[in-house]
Amino acid sequence: MKRGFRFFVLLCGLCVAVTACMDQDYGESEDFSTGGHGLFIMNEGNFMYGNASLSYYDPATGVVENEVFLRANGQKLGDVAQSMTMYGGLAWLVVNNSHVVFAINPETFKIVGQIENLTSPRYIHFVSPTKAYITQLWDNRIFVVNPRTYQITGYIQVPDMTMESGSTEQMVQYGKYVYCNCWSYQNRIIKIDTETDRVVDQLEIGIQPTSLCLDRYGRMWTVTDGGYEDSPYGYEAPSMYCIDAESFAVVKQFKFRLGDRPSEIQLNATADTLYWLNNDVWRMDVTAQRVPVRPFIEERGTIYYGLTVSPYDSNVYVADAIDYQQPGKIYRFSADGQLQDEFYVGVIPGAYCWK
Amino acid sequence: MDGRSILRGIIIVLLLWTHHDASLLAQDDGRRDVQQTSGRMRRLGEVVAWGRRPMKEIGVQKTQLDSAALKENIALSMADVLTFNSSIFVKSYGRATLSTVAFRGTSPSHTQVTWNGMRINNPMLGMTDFSTIPSYFIDNASLLHGTSSVNETGGGLGGLVKLGTTADIPDGWHAQYVQGVGSFKTFDEFARVAYGSKHWKSSTRFVYSSSPNDYKYTNHDKKVNIYDPEGQLIGSYHPKERNRSGSYKDMHLLQELYYDNLRGDRLGLNAWLIRSNRELPMLTVDYGNALDFENRQRETTFRSVLSWDHVKSNWKLSAKGGYIHTWMAYDYRRDIGNGQMASMTRSRSRVNTIYGQVEGDYNPSRHWYFTANLSAHQHFVRSEDKNVILQDGNKAIVGYDKGRIELSGYVSAKWQPSERIGLSAVIREEMFGDRWAPVTPAFFVDGLISRTGNLSFKASVSRNFKFPTLNDLYFLPGGNPNLRNEEGFSYDAGLNFTVGKPEVYSLSGSATWFDSYIDDWIIWLPTTKGFFSPRNLKKVHAYGVELKANLGLQPFKGWFLDLNGSYSWTPSINRGEQMSAADQSVGKQLPYVPRHSASLTGRLSWRSWGFLYKWVWYSRRFTMSSNDISLTGNLPSYFMSNIAIDKSFSFKPLDLSLKLAVNNLFNEDYLSVLSRPMPGINFEFFVSITPKFSR
Repeated sequence: MKRGFRFFVLLCGLCVAVTACMDQDYGESEDFSTGGHGLFIMNEGNFMYGNASLSYYDPATGVVENEVFLRANGQKLGDVAQSMTMYGGLAWLVVNNSHVVFAINPETFKIVGQIENLTSPRYIHFVSPTKAYITQLWDNRIFVVNPRTYQITGYIQVPDMTMESGSTEQMVQYGKYVYCNCWSYQNRIIKIDTETDRVVDQLEIGIQPTSLCLDRYGRMWTVTDGGYEDSPYGYEAPSMYCIDAESFAVVKQFKFRLGDRPSEIQLNATADTLYWLNNDVWRMDVTAQRVPVRPFIEERGTIYYGLTVSPYDSNVYVADAIDYQQPGKIYRFSADGQLQDEFYVGVIPGAYCWK
Repeated sequence: MDGRSILRGIIIVLLLWTHHDASLLAQDDGRRDVQQTSGRMRRLGEVVAWGRRPMKEIGVQKTQLDSAALKENIALSMADVLTFNSSIFVKSYGRATLSTVAFRGTSPSHTQVTWNGMRINNPMLGMTDFSTIPSYFIDNASLLHGTSSVNETGGGLGGLVKLGTTADIPDGWHAQYVQGVGSFKTFDEFARVAYGSKHWKSSTRFVYSSSPNDYKYTNHDKKVNIYDPEGQLIGSYHPKERNRSGSYKDMHLLQELYYDNLRGDRLGLNAWLIRSNRELPMLTVDYGNALDFENRQRETTFRSVLSWDHVKSNWKLSAKGGYIHTWMAYDYRRDIGNGQMASMTRSRSRVNTIYGQVEGDYNPSRHWYFTANLSAHQHFVRSEDKNVILQDGNKAIVGYDKGRIELSGYVSAKWQPSERIGLSAVIREEMFGDRWAPVTPAFFVDGLISRTGNLSFKASVSRNFKFPTLNDLYFLPGGNPNLRNEEGFSYDAGLNFTVGKPEVYSLSGSATWFDSYIDDWIIWLPTTKGFFSPRNLKKVHAYGVELKANLGLQPFKGWFLDLNGSYSWTPSINRGEQMSAADQSVGKQLPYVPRHSASLTGRLSWRSWGFLYKWVWYSRRFTMSSNDISLTGNLPSYFMSNIAIDKSFSFKPLDLSLKLAVNNLFNEDYLSVLSRPMPGINFEFFVSITPKFSR
């Protein structure tokens, strides 16, 4: 019995010997101090992985810093980094499936505040220093927040939309009106009065408008994806629409072929040249009457995912998400389409923001 | 197996660990005869080593799970049992949350699962959630690795998990009740009533488990800053949070009925009802208020198999029929004010499967064994994923409604020209829907190298195919009806030995090398339209080594020790072409496949006391296909240790046993999947009562 008990104790000792701890901490926070202009890249990460990240690229030096949010704050950015906007000297990061918007110092990347408990935030638009709108997926409301207090202060109810089919996306402002494209199983642009925080008008266009921008002539541009085959909502050839903001009416419509996948409509610094993705990178003057026959930059054996145009030198940045499970690559082209630089960032680089 | 086939006879008497709260029943699958007697540690008969390998399993790489592991405690699922008792990788999203298993560097959908012969993989997803299979409902569990799965079913590019119940109910009435009370207000209850007679056997089992499951953990993905009155940052810490929205209530009911006319005919009926209501825990990076969101999955599944076996001296005929009904609901809702919950996602799916199978075995002489088998699974699936308002204002549902017939036929011939060598040839043919897979051939060989140490070898080679799942083909949006079958080619070879000294020890072990190539591996990728779509993309080369060992030891009089260990080295390498010039994933290990894994289970017993130690180790798992180790995507290796101690008492009217189980003994912070926290140290106490009925 005694020997047996010693044997038992010895075995217990062995149990302890084969243990070790999982090293999970992210270490100390780093101090950053960036100056001048730069490009933030929001890397979406994989849905439900919580591996979104923020990269920062300095076009002047060509230096890229990855995971700057985590390195500066010692905590993760979250799940599905959706979009980023500069306002009031702060950078506002919308993290969709973390139900949060972080405000960070764009020089140090340190968190200065956060808006929590959002449904499924997509984009933020600032109406004033004390009022911003945050659009949502799976919600028929646009959230009204106070950026100073980081509190939700109200909601804009979107008509003819249920929670389940709710989808409000990008916003542009013309005068006192904010316009917003409604995307998932939607086909319209809504018009919001910023004085009353109500939807005052809506304009039906094609199926699933994906993005929205406002050119120098007060005309909005949006591009639809046309839905998908067998969708009960419909499937059609995508189109690019030019909408006069004043009259809220379609001025021009450019049709693509069925099966095309146009997306990511952007403007250059002077808001007179359009860029978008449709396998290749396309470019067109906002006054043009026809879509160009040839692309501005041909695809390089991959599917481009994100697009931005520098407001400082009209350089074009386009992302390759590769297999969506590894660091994506950014290609930087000059305004005349020459490759200038390329660098790896985080998983699924999907959105950009210029500082 | 008859007496002629015993080559060596009895070699050793082993310890016997009787789990008083384990099953009432004995289990005999030809290797270990475990006669349970409640309340007492008892040496059990002899363990018989069959020197002649069973003809039906010539060259088969099989891991038989010990019944003591299956009946360790009522709170365990098959995911828990496989984690600590095998070398396959169990990917767990949390406690009582989705758990999948994968063999040899493949994916969970490459693991086929059968229950009493019927395939139970979800036809929509292809995978099986092992967290919803209570181990107390399984009497017989084995793993057929790689090629060996072709003997039972097609599509198991990684292997097959074979689960079943048995009719080994002793004569008379039997009952058992077990109550478990554990950390996080966890309650587990198990009851069983069984009756056995010469002709009839019946068993009814019931399990109910519930818990708010709100364990505390340190959230390393968030940080709380501390500021001084001037607003200067003076410190920060990772907050302690609770596992939010993780509650569950699972009920299982299993009825078995068997009839044996003692003239070679056996009838069996198994019916298993599952009602599950689980919340899906929030991610560590979620800043939503848990009270404002509800993320819930509910499931009702009914599985039943009716079987008939006609056994004669040298042939056997069996037929099976089965039916599976599964209803699953997923609801994602949020509070829009005043407690009013609005639905954000409301998806529903219904699966009805009708199953039939006939099988014949013929053993004309001691040298030949023939088997033929034909099975059919007819699935009817209705998937409703989303309610939308159409452009004309009407409402519609996004989803699909499809059926698919899945036929699988198999013939094999096994030849054992001498006691030293056995050969087996298998041909399998499958048809899913209107598509035929090319013929799947497989060859197996095994042989005795040396009688000393019972040293033998096994080797096999096969081709295999896996059809796309119904979601792969039809899910809206994104389903791709043009997908090709995933195609595998694999071979393995290994050595086994058994040595021992009666009344002192027994040692057995095996080492297996495997090598497999899988082409047209299906992966779901995002599209520019915002949804995912599957594509045949990857070519994967998975290879490695599996080691297993078992030691039974009687170190001192009255003390018994049983140790089971396993280790796997599983490189699983992407050998596809670069997706673009920037692709860094070619030549790299697949994400979420550990290169190394190991497990060890030790059972020590003395009189009516028992002590159990379980240990598992997984090496680092990459979360990126490029194998980058970033701060954001990092799953370091971890060790996990569980223990249990039990004491049993025998009284005249009943046997009583008490058990304390301690999980995560060293209170490790660990993750199996990114952003999914696992619980720290936790406890559960069990009381088992087994009345003694007069016979």
